[in-house]
Amino acid sequence: MVIAMTKGLSLARGVYQDRGLRMRELRKSGKKIIGYICLYPPVEIITALGMIPFRIFGDMNETITAADQVSTTLVCPFLRSIIDLALKGKFNFLDGVVGAHTCDIGAGLILQWRDFVKSPNFSHLLDVPHTDHAPAVDYFEGQINSFKRHLEEFAGQQLTDDKLAKAIELHNTQRKLVRQLYDLRKPDPPLLTSMENLEVLVALFSLPVDEGNELLENVIADVQERKDKPDKKKARLLVWGPVFDNTSLYELIESAGASVVVDDTCVGTRAFWADVKPPYDLHSLAQHYLVDIKCPRTYRQAQPAELKKNYDKDLESRFDYIKKAVTDWKVKGAILQSVKYCDTHGYEVPNLRHYLDGLGIPSLYIEHDYSERSLAPIKTRVEAFVETLG
Amino acid sequence: MSETATPAKTDQKRAINRLKSMYPLRNLVQQDYIDTLNASNEGKPTVWAMLNYWEGDLPLKAMGLNIVYPENYSTLLASTGSAESFLDASDSDGYPTHLCGYGRSTIGYSYRMMKDLNGRIPPEAPLGGMAKPTLLLGSGIICDARFKWFQALGRYFDAPQWVLEMPMMGTAEGTEPDLEGYQIKFLVRELQAFIAFLEKLLGRKMDWARLEELIDLAVKIHETNWQISELRKSIPGPMHSTDFWSSMPPSLFFAGDMATALKLYQDMLAEVQERVNNKIAGINYPEKYRIVFSELPPWHSLKFFDSLAEKGWNFVFESRGYHAPRPLDFSHVSDPLEKLARLSRNFIFSIHPCALEDGIANPVAEVYLQTAREFKADGFFLHPLISCRAASAGLRSVQDFLMKRLNVPTLWVEGDIIDKRVFNPQETLARAEAFEQTMEHYRKVRKAQGLDW
Ligand code: SF4
Ligand code: SF4
Repeated sequence: MVIAMTKGLSLARGVYQDRGLRMRELRKSGKKIIGYICLYPPVEIITALGMIPFRIFGDMNETITAADQVSTTLVCPFLRSIIDLALKGKFNFLDGVVGAHTCDIGAGLILQWRDFVKSPNFSHLLDVPHTDHAPAVDYFEGQINSFKRHLEEFAGQQLTDDKLAKAIELHNTQRKLVRQLYDLRKPDPPLLTSMENLEVLVALFSLPVDEGNELLENVIADVQERKDKPDKKKARLLVWGPVFDNTSLYELIESAGASVVVDDTCVGTRAFWADVKPPYDLHSLAQHYLVDIKCPRTYRQAQPAELKKNYDKDLESRFDYIKKAVTDWKVKGAILQSVKYCDTHGYEVPNLRHYLDGLGIPSLYIEHDYSERSLAPIKTRVEAFVETLG
Repeated sequence: MSETATPAKTDQKRAINRLKSMYPLRNLVQQDYIDTLNASNEGKPTVWAMLNYWEGDLPLKAMGLNIVYPENYSTLLASTGSAESFLDASDSDGYPTHLCGYGRSTIGYSYRMMKDLNGRIPPEAPLGGMAKPTLLLGSGIICDARFKWFQALGRYFDAPQWVLEMPMMGTAEGTEPDLEGYQIKFLVRELQAFIAFLEKLLGRKMDWARLEELIDLAVKIHETNWQISELRKSIPGPMHSTDFWSSMPPSLFFAGDMATALKLYQDMLAEVQERVNNKIAGINYPEKYRIVFSELPPWHSLKFFDSLAEKGWNFVFESRGYHAPRPLDFSHVSDPLEKLARLSRNFIFSIHPCALEDGIANPVAEVYLQTAREFKADGFFLHPLISCRAASAGLRSVQDFLMKRLNVPTLWVEGDIIDKRVFNPQETLARAEAFEQTMEHYRKVRKAQGLDW
């Protein structure tokens, strides 16, 4: 059944289809646009200094050509796609670019950008420690502070406590609204599809936070009153993994007869599941990004300095939030997806599958190279998997 | 340039003129495996550690622990042709095949030990194998595999784990004025926590005097290695890369007894000096081309370098990531943990100011530009790996800057550290032959530009 889009959803689709559109308009009106890579640059600081954070994604439909001059084919294809687009001038509406040591190669992308893309002039790389140890949080606060100073200089204004608190509140509101958006997929059938959900999220990463919040409010209100709901499907699935910013995978899964009702991905829930907690200062930001965002790039264990490893407890401490999602969204199966060459996620796969087994949740692991083309061979595996869930 | 160098006395048996001083250094790491097995048999604690650029090695040694390095052991698996069954075991347990070859072989080894053999060492493991660990020490240095793969080992071992932190960042940010201070503070706090953890785990106190002694030895070992590297700039190159790789563990992770290692490196320094004085090359053929290798070698096919040596290819330098950094002056620092923090941090940050001065963001590219100039390289052998992002990602930048700035050409050969199926020696030799003409051409270009090699 083809379902009619609400006004909010069609607005989201428009932004999803041309992510730079609003940014170009805002730039014309004198706003500065700061592109950032992955989830770890604290967007609150960009907003607080009157600039617009824009999350940089690649393009799964654009064949990588220019990047071959500066990057080998043996690294994360998502990052290769980004540098490819940058070299082709597709991010020329940016006034600055910010990266973080989310993963080793992700950090290297900023260096490539400096060496080969050269514009925009402003660029910054935040070091992100690898553990959630207390000294690591303090160190990361230092890194956020140096980012703040650098950006203040670029913005020509100081970051006051008040401005920071207001920006954090705005972003926390966005987080709360996204959680409400996800609640719309708790019923069976869900009130919106995973493709629609992703379009809204990608739109949020492409709009100023206040406009994103308005969009979310509209979408939520519209969808709650929606008459023609998505169909009830055979199984309710969770999708896990690193970046996936294109609806094609969800289309593939949904056309195999399953609804994706929740996810643990870095375009999905990860950025929105936890709020920045008061007091709204740089330390709270460090705590939020390093400790509260649950991404496999950070090493955590059941107890700091534990003297014996208990595998089950270890899994519980790393993945218990997934258990909650499984229960709350009545998940029946999980698809673990990853781009090739992603180490932070790759090492996680057997452990997470084992944990899901323990919850009685069957899972399928699929790998792709961040292109729609690479999804075609996966289709039969997904269909066979969904079949087993019946 | 190098074609005028005096050939070494030709030894018909070997194409590479191995340093005598290399052999006892190579044996030191082998002794570590045996000592660790013995310790394990006696019920003493044993450690598996990732390369950590010394911040973990020295406290462990000061507490008298026996350590093995699965990264190093994996090179042994590759060079003895025993890696494949372990790789298969890792695949069968569901780990993606694109992960680090060292990681996959260690995971496979652990799987065999714990799932198939009830904790016993796999009988097919060379050198008696790695003893079962009682502590797993990961690190956040250089690649994500170094902590993710040890975390994954929690699936097989109930050994406690610790992950050492090390700041990793971009060039410009790495030179901010207040950065050094708060990074050192961070590292010292982390080291304090690590030592408190070790003390609790082992039920005994850190031997601080021993730690200071070991730090002093570490500094001396690095200074000696630095001096050897400086001598290697001579023409002809007195030491071949294969000798470096065979002798590096006592400097890279302080394998073996450190006082013995220092003495052996001093012997090596003397031998290299003697070769320099007498213009003796690291190959037993006239040095026609001075080649730098980046980054990790094909451990399974080291014989391949003999064929290149026969053609006059002298690998005069290699693998910057394995070398001791330029020595630092520690005389103003009294706290041993601060010294240790500075020693390790120096490995990461020593190159940042030079890169900035050269207008380069990627420190790896800067490192190799310096190397090309100082070693008067005719060409670079770049070896991107299917299973290591860290050693491959920056190589296009290296290639680009070498050509753009210095007209030094590169031979790009995809391969792997462990998986020999992806390396084709015949095809590479054919390409090497064509590459000789390229090197000849760029020699002329450089000379025309006023460069002196
Ligand atoms: S997908 Fe993995 S490798 Fe790629 S940027 Fe994200 S964390 Fe890094
Ligand atoms: S640097 Fe490369 S080879 Fe070494 S452990 Fe990391 S991923 Fe593996």
